[in-house]
Amino acid sequence: MDNASTDRPAHLKHYFVSSDQQFDAAKMGMWLFLVTEILLFSGMFVAYTVFRVWYPEVFAHSAELLDWKLGGLNTIVLLASSFTVALGIHYAQKDNQKGLVLNLILTFVFACTFLVVKYFEYTSKFEHGVFPGAAFDPHGVSHGVDYALYNIPFAAQFFSIYFVMTGIHGFHVLVGMGLFIWITRKAIRGDFSSEYYTPVENCGLYWHLVDIIWIFLFPLLYLI
Amino acid sequence: MSQGHHITSIKTLSIVIGALVILTGLTVFTSRFDLGVFTVPLALAIATTKAALVVTIFMALRWDNKINAAIFGIGILFVIVFISFVLFDTAFRGDLPNTTKGTIMEMEASEAEMQSREPDASTRQFNRTPE
Repeated sequence: MDNASTDRPAHLKHYFVSSDQQFDAAKMGMWLFLVTEILLFSGMFVAYTVFRVWYPEVFAHSAELLDWKLGGLNTIVLLASSFTVALGIHYAQKDNQKGLVLNLILTFVFACTFLVVKYFEYTSKFEHGVFPGAAFDPHGVSHGVDYALYNIPFAAQFFSIYFVMTGIHGFHVLVGMGLFIWITRKAIRGDFSSEYYTPVENCGLYWHLVDIIWIFLFPLLYLI
Repeated sequence: MSQGHHITSIKTLSIVIGALVILTGLTVFTSRFDLGVFTVPLALAIATTKAALVVTIFMALRWDNKINAAIFGIGILFVIVFISFVLFDTAFRGDLPNTTKGTIMEMEASEAEMQSREPDASTRQFNRTPE
């Protein structure tokens, strides 16, 4: 027993029997956290559902004001970032440090791209008075779209739901970027290997969930 | 790791990202048409398929410890309960036009009261033929 304890790898906490046990415990904790995240967003999806059932034609009309091309571009960007995270984990499991670092950096770049597109979407809405809540006052004409046509009852509810849902989702993207800076630095330092890559795995799970939320937000807000 | 975690091949990951991009195109394409009542279910079906691909392959739940699948499944179950039970209320509001202010007993009492004031049954007809 004493001999075994001297062989323990640096990453293994003293209260775990093995690396596998530590990895499984961390991953299960991550899944529990993801469920709380799903429930956080489900509250907003319930708000969306209730108002959509009440005012379907208002929601269909208001959705036309959102640019599906930018929304679609962001969907592709987030899907690509999910792919690079999955690739990163694949390379970590194969002890390919270069592949891991490259894919983590790519993921970070995709996350930046997503937020830049989101910034342009938000500002183009703010310019024409499309704000969440009581400040909602669409006006002006741009690209042949008369914003005043969207000043109809309950359109404010649609755009409030849009800004809150995409805003909280955007905040999750921002948190994800912070996480990727942290694990990319660790990966460059050579902290990860096929023996230990728990932070990469769990950040990856978090990032896939952020992607899944967007998979639902895109059609519900932009398309239908 | 000593036990050997499942390593998803680059080929599998590439097929999944390809499918996800195609499904994104499909949901944009189908939204161009007016499908009536099928618009929302179709969009949700495509989104659910995409989410399922991400969860099972990218998040590797398919090969993972079953406890994680159970945790995720229970979470989804509660989301379904959350949405459907709220809809039991909000989707059926205003469907009871014959509601009254009083209690059932009050209503029955006032009905009996009206009944007692009712004159002879034969006089209740409005369009009686003149005798």
